[in-house]
Amino acid sequence: MAALLAIKDLVTAYGKIEALKGVTLEVQDESITCLLGPNGAGKTTLMFTTAGILRPRRGSIHFAGKDITARPPHSIVASGIALVPENRLVFPHMSVLENLRAGAYQRSGNAGINADIERLMQRFPRLRERAAQDAGTLSGGEQQMLAVARALMSRPRLLLMDEPSLGLAPLVLEEIFRIIAELRRDGTTIFLVEQNAHMALKVAQHFYLMEQGRVTFSGNPGSLAEDEVISRAYLGTVKQ
Amino acid sequence: MLQDLLQNTLDGVALGASYALLAVGFTLIFGVLRRVNLSYGPAIMFGAYCATWTYLNFQAGLLVLGIVTVAGAVLAGVYVERLCFAPHRQGSAIAAMVASFALWMQLEEAATLALPKHLYAFPALYEGDPLALGPLSLRIESLAMLGAAGAISALLWTILYRTRFGLAVRAIIDSPTAASLAGINLPRVSLLVFALASAIGGVAGYLIVASHGQVTPMLGMWATLKGLLAMMLGGLGSLPGAVVGGLALGLIEAHSQWFLGPQARDLVAYLLLFALLAARPAWMTRWTSTRSAS
Repeated sequence: MAALLAIKDLVTAYGKIEALKGVTLEVQDESITCLLGPNGAGKTTLMFTTAGILRPRRGSIHFAGKDITARPPHSIVASGIALVPENRLVFPHMSVLENLRAGAYQRSGNAGINADIERLMQRFPRLRERAAQDAGTLSGGEQQMLAVARALMSRPRLLLMDEPSLGLAPLVLEEIFRIIAELRRDGTTIFLVEQNAHMALKVAQHFYLMEQGRVTFSGNPGSLAEDEVISRAYLGTVKQ
Repeated sequence: MLQDLLQNTLDGVALGASYALLAVGFTLIFGVLRRVNLSYGPAIMFGAYCATWTYLNFQAGLLVLGIVTVAGAVLAGVYVERLCFAPHRQGSAIAAMVASFALWMQLEEAATLALPKHLYAFPALYEGDPLALGPLSLRIESLAMLGAAGAISALLWTILYRTRFGLAVRAIIDSPTAASLAGINLPRVSLLVFALASAIGGVAGYLIVASHGQVTPMLGMWATLKGLLAMMLGGLGSLPGAVVGGLALGLIEAHSQWFLGPQARDLVAYLLLFALLAARPAWMTRWTSTRSAS
């Protein structure tokens, strides 16, 4: 079976510093794949390169069999990939409803868009309560829900999530992971970057470990290597 | 005394309406691109020169001249965006600003090459007497400027808050990265914003030259300076702020000219800007600081 997302020998650099030094990995259709690793390993760079915000220097990205390397971000959204960025990046001076509409920017047909907004507000009741409020006034957890909902408004086949648990209280964190599992059950493929390895490995079918711009390990949760991977993913955090 | 004060206030508001329009165009570009476009005024001047050329060669009427001014300004504005801003979208803000200065010179040269005299007459908007409001008087041109400023503000508000394009513009102003990730085509929206801002500037420029009855190449520098000044007075980057800043600048100029003489007019406005920049009150920095955090 061909992978939904296939990244090959990807190199992305900031000036002379290579943040990705030849990354190769795959995300299988209708699965949750998790990318672990310490801070500064290049995880966010990989997400931004896949979403088209950063241009790779070398290598290729294929999505659903098509080459999407170095395409502009709006064209990558059109192909069916949506990124929930690190630190959420909602539109702070726009209402919750407008944030959701912005997420559907490329879609046409108001009926479908309104139906999706209704569906997402059922899933995230807090967003309905706050629909008219500026997104900047929401709590961190609510902003994270909004960022996920906004990404889903483009009806992606593949959802990229960059550290969705960052800075969230334990209860909210559990809710986020419950939603991730639900989304996968509904047929969305998820590629997840996480610092919280314990939580991530509970939902993921496959994981990669990234260190210093390279994939250094990959496997399935529950295998013998899990403990070592977790300690290596955390060690980097301790070091800094 | 009171009558002078009232008359100055009335004149100041009318003058301020033209500054407000210039500042709104400036702010649109600054908000979306986070770049200062020094060629904003020269693009307006280019439009006014296109109209002057059309007038000299074809004796066209006021409506045609207005359309030519706006079209010329939009054309020059789009040219500036393609040459100075599109290539530096992710690069240095300084590079884009310096490039826009180079195009300022280019547009000025092009205008003076086509029409080499220092001053050209421009058909006046209205030849009759000003309107009498009791002891006060109001020029018909000023009334037209106030009307245009009001109508354009309302139209712009409708575009920004009632259309899909407006949603994209506000999203980019809030966070360009998030806007890209939502699927908004940044290069295309930026180009359209440039065209829109230049069209607004073109309307302002047309009304300004038509009420002065003359046009010079200095119009470019004048429009850039007044627009920039009004934008900064209004808090750098907020559209309602730009309107307030423009009106405030008009009032400050009208009153200081009356009390301190025409030489002191610009001095007072610059001194006030200096004081504001030195003190940086919260309302002036709120908008820009929330943006840099995202």
